[in-house]
Amino acid sequence: MDPIFVLQQILNGLSFGALLFLVASGFTLTFGLMQIANLAHGAFYVLGAYVAVVTVTATHNFWIGALAGTAVAAGTGLLTERALLRRVRGREMPEVLVTVGVLIVIADLVLAVFGGHPRSVSSGNGAPSGAIVIGEFVYPQYRLAIIVLTIVIAVALFVLQKHSRVGAIIRAGVDNREMASAMGINIDKVFTAVFLFGAALAGFAGAIGSGLLSLTPGSGTDILLFALVVVIIGGLGSIKGAAVGAVLIGLIDAFAKAWLPDFSYFTIFAPMALVLVLRPNGLFGRAA
Amino acid sequence: MNRATVVKLASVSAAVAILIALPYLISSYYVSLISIVFISAILASSINMLAGDANLVSLGHAGIAAAAGYGLAWAARQGFDLGGQLAVAGIMTVITSVVYGLISMRTRGIFFLMVTLAAGMVCYGIAFRWSSVTGGDNGLTGISRPPGLAEYWQFYFFVLAIFVIVTIALVITSRSPFGLAMRGIRDSETRMRSLGYNVANYKFVAVFLSGVVAGIAGVLAVWQFEFISPSAGGFDRSAMVMVMVIIGGIGTLFGPLLGATLVVSIEQVLSTYVDRWPMILGALFIAVVIFAPQGLDGGIRQLAAWFRRRRSPKDSPITGTSRDVPKQSTSTHQ
Repeated sequence: MDPIFVLQQILNGLSFGALLFLVASGFTLTFGLMQIANLAHGAFYVLGAYVAVVTVTATHNFWIGALAGTAVAAGTGLLTERALLRRVRGREMPEVLVTVGVLIVIADLVLAVFGGHPRSVSSGNGAPSGAIVIGEFVYPQYRLAIIVLTIVIAVALFVLQKHSRVGAIIRAGVDNREMASAMGINIDKVFTAVFLFGAALAGFAGAIGSGLLSLTPGSGTDILLFALVVVIIGGLGSIKGAAVGAVLIGLIDAFAKAWLPDFSYFTIFAPMALVLVLRPNGLFGRAA
Repeated sequence: MNRATVVKLASVSAAVAILIALPYLISSYYVSLISIVFISAILASSINMLAGDANLVSLGHAGIAAAAGYGLAWAARQGFDLGGQLAVAGIMTVITSVVYGLISMRTRGIFFLMVTLAAGMVCYGIAFRWSSVTGGDNGLTGISRPPGLAEYWQFYFFVLAIFVIVTIALVITSRSPFGLAMRGIRDSETRMRSLGYNVANYKFVAVFLSGVVAGIAGVLAVWQFEFISPSAGGFDRSAMVMVMVIIGGIGTLFGPLLGATLVVSIEQVLSTYVDRWPMILGALFIAVVIFAPQGLDGGIRQLAAWFRRRRSPKDSPITGTSRDVPKQSTSTHQ
């Protein structure tokens, strides 16, 4: 086996895994605190991606595009939580069904506004572009930058969750909602903030993902599937689980695409099925 | 026999009479449309059975239907005779239903929904990628209906008969000790477990049975369109079927048919006038979930109860004794 090929596949897997972590961590955070499986998460991703592509084309600045995509996704998340989810708060099935409805509406909205043709963000424009070359090893800088950026975000998330006041409030909310609000924490505001933050992460993932994967209105459900598999493997509500699951699925997917292209969906499904049978709550999940 | 039973029997017989007379009254286009409604209603019934009795809402049953449909279509293209085609479709249905059952039998609530969603997406992915067998994005074309069902009206009667049989079978299942056990599990898994029920096994059987119904719908859909493509198993399809169940009224007898009628009308008729019909349907769906969790069926019952109250002032509108509202199962917590 060619070591350069293997290294490239590992990096492909890690960069895709990085993207998956950004999507899955927002999903799992929302679930951990509010017990909402936000299926509209895929729609926030695709919304962020399209807004970023359009903004980058207009401003020729990748980072303004990423910011715009993140902001629009966050705004949509805020609207979804305030206007819709609030009305069915605490009833698990209606909550998830509302997010399915939001997914359907946003997917159609994206199709109406941006059309069905595949798009991708134009490379360069202030984002790392070109390739890194070490002897025979050639690899795109953009993918390496995604890996580094995601590691920074992941570390920040861990530190924030473990060692900051905001993190303590969120952990308190996850552990015992009633007690947290009895201690004077406005849990409603925390819900809104976390939902908004999760949507922003999805929008940001969409913005940087649009330079990595091709973008169509259907990309939202595609990435949602991967995120679901990641959180089911890692355990719902666990950021650590999301990180482990994302790296695992990223690597499996990269090697499957290289070796078994016909079955690349099946290969991510098999580990999920295995985890569900052996550990129904996921690798790092708590008993429901 | 009391008056309510007579009214019920009379309205059901009238409905059946109208449905049998339909092909002689309306054009072939509308008859085909009604066939599509019934096929969708069969698929919706498969989800409705799980959602109503077990509170297990599936977002992936289109995957099972597509697996059955692909089995039939592939066998037809290979030149198998009708028995062989149905056998392959049956094997595909059993395999996918067993897989769905195995991975979902230990889950409930939103976990079940997410696991079935992932399973359905994988069915879609395999249909899309394994192009040497499935034809990829183009799907499999040119599958003709078996002799005797070739005419649109023959097929309509066949679909109608299957729908009636499936509905009766599901009602019998739901009223059997098995259905009772499923409702027990829905209301409290812990209680059923301590009573000695193997909850996971019951769920497996329930998912398997609903998978068989979905497989039947998948075969009928291939015969209807004489074609199958990956989108038959995709998320959009599964979501539409779930929308039918929720809009129709979860766990109700006529909910799937009502929901399928509404969704297929929007999908097939409104779509010729309005491009953005999925948005309308999505918004309608959100409105139903938030404001009318009992769906159309529940809404119609409430309306009927209201009319009854107005006609007979003896019933106090405050106590509302004649209210006949189905149990709202969407918000059941364990």
